[in-house]
Amino acid sequence: MTTILKSEPLDNAMAVKRKSNVRRLIALAVMAFLTVVLYMTLNVRFDNPKLFEYAMRIRTPKVITMLLVASCIGGASMVFQSVINNTIVTPCLLGMNSLYTLIHTAVVFFFGTGSLVARNTNVAFAMDLALMGVIATFIYSYMFKKTKYNVLYVLLIGTVLTSFFSSMQTTMVRAMDPNEYDTLLTTLVASFSNINSEIILLAAVMMALVVIVFRKDLALLDIITLGKEQAINLGVDYDRTIRKLLLGVVLLIAIATAMVGPISFLGLIIANLSRQLLKTYRHSHLIMGSALIGMVLLVGGQVIVERVFVYSIPISVFITVGGGLYFLYLLLTQKRRS
Amino acid sequence: MVDGVNFEIPKGKVLSLIGPNGAGKSTVMGIISRLIASDAGLVDFEGTAINKWKSRELSKRLAILTQANNIQMKLTVRELVTFGRFPYSGNHITGEDREIIDQAIGYMELTDMQDQFIDELSGGQRQRAYIAMVIAQDTEYVLLDEPTNNLDIYHATNMMKTVRRLCDELGKTVILVLHEINYAAFYSDYICAFVNGKIAKFGTVKEVMTKENLAEIYKVDFEIQEIEGKPLSIYY
Repeated sequence: MTTILKSEPLDNAMAVKRKSNVRRLIALAVMAFLTVVLYMTLNVRFDNPKLFEYAMRIRTPKVITMLLVASCIGGASMVFQSVINNTIVTPCLLGMNSLYTLIHTAVVFFFGTGSLVARNTNVAFAMDLALMGVIATFIYSYMFKKTKYNVLYVLLIGTVLTSFFSSMQTTMVRAMDPNEYDTLLTTLVASFSNINSEIILLAAVMMALVVIVFRKDLALLDIITLGKEQAINLGVDYDRTIRKLLLGVVLLIAIATAMVGPISFLGLIIANLSRQLLKTYRHSHLIMGSALIGMVLLVGGQVIVERVFVYSIPISVFITVGGGLYFLYLLLTQKRRS
Repeated sequence: MVDGVNFEIPKGKVLSLIGPNGAGKSTVMGIISRLIASDAGLVDFEGTAINKWKSRELSKRLAILTQANNIQMKLTVRELVTFGRFPYSGNHITGEDREIIDQAIGYMELTDMQDQFIDELSGGQRQRAYIAMVIAQDTEYVLLDEPTNNLDIYHATNMMKTVRRLCDELGKTVILVLHEINYAAFYSDYICAFVNGKIAKFGTVKEVMTKENLAEIYKVDFEIQEIEGKPLSIYY
């Protein structure tokens, strides 16, 4: 009896901490909602039904895409950081951005900008997804197993692949018709236009599938971050879980990149902001925080891009510049490990 | 590399593995606890080979604490100890789990600081938190790889006293890898000495702690003095 009574006040302190994190998550959700509302209503002509319908038709798919991409990147980045056990890595290191750029450059190089593959967004999406998914799965899942489950090899392979894909892409670009290159260049930057509802539906379904298939491994994330020895001590198959989580990360990044282009650098920003805001080890909270912060940044950023800069500066510029500065800040303030 | 190592772990006692650097103590500990796979040989745990055990079942009988404990997570002491209940309850902690966690934290005298983050604690306090987690894991066998490393004399001595209590009060079988042979001599029941990947000596403390044995193992001269009935060594 006495021990049960003792539990309550001691549990309270933890419950208070958890409550404050939940409060912060709710605050983030509200911010995300307000940002979405702002995006959907700013400069919209409510008086004219035709213009209103036009605005909604343009904005709705964009905003849904942004929410999906934020969730994908937010979740994948957090999981990737836990798998690699380092808070300043990003799934960019897997080389998917370079692969995406290479695929699109190769299409223009071999088939031209007038070809079906280059023009039709559905075909392009399917091809991106298939190629990136297959290549990444083969390389990261298979090679990871072959190299005895050492996560450092993942980073090494990613670095080598990034160089490899970039070099091929640069060579093609040099030999390309300059007019073709101009057209190509605009497609190599992350963009939320040109997304139709079929792509959104397919992407959402695939995202859901990945989460469902890997749900058991996602539940083990907290234990994984205790380290390999502790995870095994507590009865978890560390190597197998890491391999499956890595595969999930790779697939989610492939989906997001196939949708909008090279965007995974955002993951560094939102994963670390989430860690700073929610001081907890619980991945359920951290991933949700990461996704919500991503939504606020993407939708808010797009509002600025569209209304303040009138589309002249793409959002990837803000992500890269902001992310770069934040990355330097993270490096400089990283606590020295004793 | 270890070769031809063959011994039986005495139940309900404290066994210390000692020996020079690179002798294979941590390797043997790793093989016993399934952290490392052996190339040949058999580890028999309660009648079944250790690699045939389901890891989750094994984690309720055997706990291992290694030296690699520098995680960067924002974890409080209580949250860390709670992980010790994972083999039993997964991610869903019951009321009974909470009682066990309270008791483990109380046993290690961490009740006042259980809501502090472990990266804000001193080395000695953090080590106690990990031991509390091992206690919460409620296993019959506890394996500790150099638990007194990086601890000052006060904390190291207290750690050894706790090891003794784990055995005497909680009835656990404890196996330790130790560098400090005097801690091994004073606080354990049996000693297994390794040299170059093989067992040089296995026996009770009195049997192993002799001038001749220690000189053979460490290649250095020793004097033995009896303190409180235990043979302690002086080396120079």
